[in-house]
Amino acid sequence: KWKGEGTTLNLESIVIGRCYDYIRIVNPAVGEKNCSEIWEAFKNAFIEKDPCSVLPKDYELFINLSFHAIPPNKSLFWENNHLLVNSFADGGRRYMSLADTLFGYLADFLNWCGQANGTGLDYESCPTTEECENNPVESFWRMASVTYAQHSSGVIHVLLNGSAAGGAYPVPGFFADYEIPNLQKDKVSEIVIWVVDDIEGPDRDSCGTHTVAILQNRLKNLGFDITCTDNFE
Amino acid sequence: MPFQQGARTRQRTVLLVGMVVLLAALVLAVVLASLLTHREQEDGPKMLKWKDRGTTKNLQEVILGRCYNYVMARYPELGDKDCLKIWDSLKRAFIYKNPCNITSEDYQPLMELASHPIPCNKSLFWSKTNDLAHRYTKSNQNFLTLEDTLLGYMADRVSWCGDPSAPGINYESCPKRSECESNPGSVFWKMASKMFAEAACGVVQVMLNGSVEAGAFGSSSIFGSIEIFNLNPDKVSAVHIWLMHDIGGPQSESCSGHSIKRLKSILEARNFKITCEDNYRPVQLLQCVHNPDHTDCRLCTNTM
Repeated sequence: KWKGEGTTLNLESIVIGRCYDYIRIVNPAVGEKNCSEIWEAFKNAFIEKDPCSVLPKDYELFINLSFHAIPPNKSLFWENNHLLVNSFADGGRRYMSLADTLFGYLADFLNWCGQANGTGLDYESCPTTEECENNPVESFWRMASVTYAQHSSGVIHVLLNGSAAGGAYPVPGFFADYEIPNLQKDKVSEIVIWVVDDIEGPDRDSCGTHTVAILQNRLKNLGFDITCTDNFE
Repeated sequence: MPFQQGARTRQRTVLLVGMVVLLAALVLAVVLASLLTHREQEDGPKMLKWKDRGTTKNLQEVILGRCYNYVMARYPELGDKDCLKIWDSLKRAFIYKNPCNITSEDYQPLMELASHPIPCNKSLFWSKTNDLAHRYTKSNQNFLTLEDTLLGYMADRVSWCGDPSAPGINYESCPKRSECESNPGSVFWKMASKMFAEAACGVVQVMLNGSVEAGAFGSSSIFGSIEIFNLNPDKVSAVHIWLMHDIGGPQSESCSGHSIKRLKSILEARNFKITCEDNYRPVQLLQCVHNPDHTDCRLCTNTM
């Protein structure tokens, strides 16, 4: 019916398990959270709804329940290098990317959607963003990205892929549309941009050229102090 | 005057009686209270007290979630694993048991349910390189440590132990190895390590720490006491040793060192081919993420 993958099997157990894993083992500093409440809030954002009519603000309660502060100077934004970021952030020890926060950790790599006529999750298929923007997964990450950006402070890092076909700084994109507009000028001291090419990949974009230049200008015009480095070692 | 005296005597009597009654009530209350608490103590014996951290809270949710996460999100080929059964078999292995009396038989059902084949040439053993070995397998999925198999993945960084009294699980404390060897955690990891070694085939790798004073290879480590003796010479053709030094750290031992010679002789006696490489470059590059300016981390070093 839809073009995208269906809901991840055993979604509830995975999400609740990840929640306890996070608060008991990964990052107990966030304190006590009610993981069943968090799951319920997550589920209610999209269950029994047309999977093309789920909005970011439907996840508001979920975000409120799973929210925790992000340590200053630890935010790491990125585009087109999901696995590299996961590896580089070192499970939140070196940096805390969105996937290293509780609200991001719960959903990373998972897929989900409900059905308009029915109480269940749709395991067969879910809409892609091309089919409709207001789908459960897209809206989730929009909401999570906005929250992550709003609460980032200190020195902000952004890791871009200089080999990416559409340019290192994609527009439209999560960083461009949901994160930059929500960075707080009074909390952010500096933005450090890293442009890294794939090993043996093409060097399509670099600091001062093409889309990275667009990004640098945009951030400068917004009043941020920025630096840019190519192929960070 | 005699009337007043009578009244005063009556007052005094009433006061006296009142005090006696109050005292009696107090004594009764104290006696009752001590009886009740005594009964409570008899009904609920305290759990045994140990020196290590207790069972991880919400163990069931964590284990179940990890099981489903591993099967669905990481290795969907294992789709036939029944995570509920697996959790149940783990629980039965230790619940309501004295945590100093755990045997490998207790874990046999769990081991059978959760084990899965490991592709050849991908097994990565490690000793005193916990952090580095796992950072490596996270970034290079061509290698698997025990903690990258379903069993190890579920149990990593989690603790559990039981107790004969209700509710059968001790969340306060669990025995350290020094208190008793046959505790739930130690027995689990010994068994899982043995099976991991038995399942290895082709070329296997081991990451050792050449900056440790006590020597890179120790016969009391799990690798040295269990894993090398459970590699199957009919399945495993060679053992590649990666001897890693901390960047800028002491070079306590290299491939020609004493403990490595000992390891080689043990393995050769079992008919394995051995190779050893100091500071295997792909792993060293990971170390360089934390030390990019060190001379060992310059991009254009020539190896060999």
